Amino acid sequence: MNLRQLNRILLQTLLVPVVALFFVAGVLALQIRKAELTVAHMQAAGDNISTATRVAQLTVNEDNGIRGFQLTSNDIFLQPYRNAQLPLQRGLAQLREGIAKQGGDPHMVDDLVLAHDTWRIAFAEPIIQSTINGTDTRDTGLNLRAKAQMDQVISVIARIITAEQRQRAEDVRTWRRQVRQTLQILVVLAVFIGLAIGISARNRLHRVSDAFQGTLEEVRHNAQLTYDSEQRLRTMLTSIGEGIIVCDIQGKVELLNTVAEQLTGWSLADALHEPVDKIFHLVNESTREDLEAPAASFPQLPLPARSPGHDSLANHPILIRRDGTEIPINESEAPITDRSGKLAGVVIVFRDITEQRRAQTTLLATEKLAVAGRLAATLAHEIHNPLDAVINLLYLMRSNPTAAETEQFLDLASKELDRVAQISRAMLGMYRESKEPVAVDIEEMLTSILLLLDRQMRQAQVRLRAEFAPGAVVIGYPAELRQVFINLLTNAADASGVDGLIELKTEICAERRRNSRSPEIEPRPAGVSITITDQGEGIDAQTLPKLFQPFFTTKGEHGTGLGLWVSQGIVQKHNGTITIKSSTASESHGTTVTVFLPRGEAVFA
Amino acid sequence: MPQPRRLVLCVDDETVGLQVRRMILERAGYKVLTAHDGPSGLDAFVEHPIDAVVLDYAMPGMDGGQVAAHMRAKKPQVPILLLSAYMTLPPDVTRHVDIYMTKGEGAPMLLQKLNGLFPGQTH
Repeated sequence: MNLRQLNRILLQTLLVPVVALFFVAGVLALQIRKAELTVAHMQAAGDNISTATRVAQLTVNEDNGIRGFQLTSNDIFLQPYRNAQLPLQRGLAQLREGIAKQGGDPHMVDDLVLAHDTWRIAFAEPIIQSTINGTDTRDTGLNLRAKAQMDQVISVIARIITAEQRQRAEDVRTWRRQVRQTLQILVVLAVFIGLAIGISARNRLHRVSDAFQGTLEEVRHNAQLTYDSEQRLRTMLTSIGEGIIVCDIQGKVELLNTVAEQLTGWSLADALHEPVDKIFHLVNESTREDLEAPAASFPQLPLPARSPGHDSLANHPILIRRDGTEIPINESEAPITDRSGKLAGVVIVFRDITEQRRAQTTLLATEKLAVAGRLAATLAHEIHNPLDAVINLLYLMRSNPTAAETEQFLDLASKELDRVAQISRAMLGMYRESKEPVAVDIEEMLTSILLLLDRQMRQAQVRLRAEFAPGAVVIGYPAELRQVFINLLTNAADASGVDGLIELKTEICAERRRNSRSPEIEPRPAGVSITITDQGEGIDAQTLPKLFQPFFTTKGEHGTGLGLWVSQGIVQKHNGTITIKSSTASESHGTTVTVFLPRGEAVFA
Repeated sequence: MPQPRRLVLCVDDETVGLQVRRMILERAGYKVLTAHDGPSGLDAFVEHPIDAVVLDYAMPGMDGGQVAAHMRAKKPQVPILLLSAYMTLPPDVTRHVDIYMTKGEGAPMLLQKLNGLFPGQTH
């Protein structure tokens, strides 16, 4: 039921009694009107009675006047008779009219007029005339006749009065009946309308109540659904394998799931309403600087969703747990917005990457071993050849050489041993682990790498042209950088055909600031860029994006698929970039790999 | 009767190694021709009456195995000694040579093995 239906029902419930009351009022008005008519009838009867009484009085006055005049012959006594004539005529007319209006019998008035006229003409007028004439009027017969005539008049009046009284009594009965009837009608109507209103209201209210009940059920059902859904979400949130922290717009913690409790070492009860950066304390892995808490960026919108690449080897934040222990984590944040799009909070998702770290470390070691392994065969050759020469020279020196020959043999042996020493130094450089970053001379590093790769290049009949910018120094981890360039140069050699040319070039780059005129240029600190270009077949566009994925290789069983992935990780650890451009066009095919390493604290010579 | 000196062809891309090996062989009484890579070694092999070849395995372009195969195709009777820094070599390489040895075994061993390539004759 919607609101309009409800309003209609309410209106109906109101209108039914109003209409019923109007009906009752109408019936009542009709009854009262009838009663009023009856009362008017009653009054008319009363009026007729009083008129008749007055007529009787006047008649008696006439008679008395005549009798007085008859006895005294004095004109004064005749006064009442004369005075009565006009009112009597009027009273009779009034009486006739009243009885006619009442629907009574007008003949009675006619009888009265006749009787009175009879008396007046037959007795009164002659008596008056006789008395004036002085004639004796005491004739008994005449007077008896006159008396009879007057009695006739009085009797007619009495009859009229009696009839009117009867009529009035009848009217009173009618009026009483009508009042009774009205009362009965009222009672019946009251009962009937009361019932009707009751039933109708009950019916309407039933509908409203049903609808209300339905709505209530629906609300209850929805509440149950909401509760179920919340329970489900809560269970999902709790059982999910990643740590989740939800905080409000002030950066106060609202929720920690079970994993987040385990990882941070804070229970939800303890962490609730605490500032998020207290619970979720992050530091930079290498600089140990506090990382900005996610809530610190409030209330800016849109909040940039932070999510570092999952396979990246670059710096990860370290979570300082409640007990002070540390866990490397991978973390992402997303804003929570309300319906109007306003920021309502932030959800932080993070996970422990200790295991992933361990696996990565293993992979890194594997790749390092693979690089060394690939080098080992040619290196053995590189060491073995000069050693063979030295052994042979020693043999010659034992067979009585001349002084000049001895000189020559020693010279040759010394050169050959130098070569071995150089190679072994270069090889050792691969493993010279350094905990702290140090100044790395790029030219020196690349030269020693080229020495290691020399045999490999020669065997593959690849030519190499190197151009070094003097004084290129960066701060970094030498062993790791060596691994990067051995990788890249080996890739270039593998890609090159017989007589292919590899160009190796280093350049010192000045700092590049943001320029409003050419915003497409990314700002970059000062550093060294190392470019390795081969003339191989090139890499097609489908393969290019996959190059930095771990375990992606184009070399079949000869590659680990880790080289570029590890190289990228190392370069990123140095805050540098590695980019690959390639062309498969027939006249200009080849690949260029550019590594940019920021100078850091190093000073270019 | 003084035996005519045997002509040995040495092929190796290692300049110093080749120079030293030449001196050892000359002191042992051989005449020595040298070549720095496979193709020039093959040329010398065809042009000169070579009695034996001391061949290095690992060389850019054409490796010792390929060079030996070509030599066998031209003059199958000429014995070939293959030198290698590797301990073992695949059979399709070794089947074209008479004997192979690892570098670093020393000059006496080289001379002995080379001499052994000329059966029935003492030097």
